[in-house]
Amino acid sequence: MSDPADSRGPGQRQMSPEEKAAFEGRISDLGEKLGKVKAQRATDAQAELDAQMRGRGMAYGMRMAAELVSAVIVGGLIGYALDWLLGTKPWLFLLFFVLGFAAGVLNVMRAYERMQKEFKAKTDGRIGNSVPDDED
Amino acid sequence: MPDPIHQFEIHPIVPIKIFGWDATFTNSSLFMLIAIFLVATFFILAMRGRSLVPTRVQSVAEVTYEFVAGMLRESTGQSGMKYFPLVFTLFVFIFTANMLGMIPGFFTVTSHIIVTAALAGLVFLTVLLVGFAKNGLHFLKLFVPSGVPIYVLPLVTLIEIISFLSRPISHSVRLFANMLAGHITLKVFGGFVVMLLGAGTYSFLAPLPLFMAIALTALEFLVAFLQAYVFTMLTCMYLNDALHPGH
Repeated sequence: MSDPADSRGPGQRQMSPEEKAAFEGRISDLGEKLGKVKAQRATDAQAELDAQMRGRGMAYGMRMAAELVSAVIVGGLIGYALDWLLGTKPWLFLLFFVLGFAAGVLNVMRAYERMQKEFKAKTDGRIGNSVPDDED
Repeated sequence: MPDPIHQFEIHPIVPIKIFGWDATFTNSSLFMLIAIFLVATFFILAMRGRSLVPTRVQSVAEVTYEFVAGMLRESTGQSGMKYFPLVFTLFVFIFTANMLGMIPGFFTVTSHIIVTAALAGLVFLTVLLVGFAKNGLHFLKLFVPSGVPIYVLPLVTLIEIISFLSRPISHSVRLFANMLAGHITLKVFGGFVVMLLGAGTYSFLAPLPLFMAIALTALEFLVAFLQAYVFTMLTCMYLNDALHPGH
């Protein structure tokens, strides 16, 4: 420590130049290996997250489809039943079919709003992968 | 090619007739009973110790409780905790049934719409009963959104009613369709492997659908959990509408 020429610590003071070169080579090798492992880990984590998000996306997609279709079916059924009861075939069926479609769109919009809220709560507003902005 | 629909067939095990009603004990009933038996045994055994510092099994039970309780409290507030037993039972039953279905050769209870429709119908009726019991006619405000001009109000109310009535359908179809589609896809890809193996020169392609089937299996496990979660989540939201109809 008292030697100001070599401040790397007491262990390395006796190293010959060849030894030093070998040692540094080992260090850079290790750094390279470590970098590879780290990169692998990062891609693994990313792939896992991607797979999870894909599963979630599929689930949400199915959900949206179910929301829309079920309302149309219910509307159509109500119209059909009313037609059958009142003998006004096919007018109420047509009317309620369209109303059912409107209700379906309403369902989808509400589900979407909820989904957004859920996502925001989970990722603090960052949806999907963060992409560097030109302005940053 | 093996029939991908074959796995959903119902076989009678013990034929039972009660006053002309067909109440046959089928493989579906058997797997429902297995699911209930597994859940009950697990929770009874896990909570037997009731130690302050939980064992591994006990903490799994506690985490499950906390998970569902948190979900319910978040969407309905403290007043909704009265319905915790219903919500917890639904979640654990659907989750166990979905997971049991992932074991090869086992029957997936939730891949039949009659089962999911019964569950969704139960939730729908509970919401109606609780809504009217708690709020009386005030519950009908759910169908009359505020801040809508009077001349479109009847139309909007009609749309809201249709939207409300469509809930049990989308609620049940979502779970059923996911489980059905997932299991059929798995079976089809499994069938591709067998078909390609018997295709002579092209049999070297057989690993491709095999990898796909492996990836799909992982995805299906995720879907099995996710659908149980989504079903429970929606139950909580519908209960919230029953408890606080004014939005």
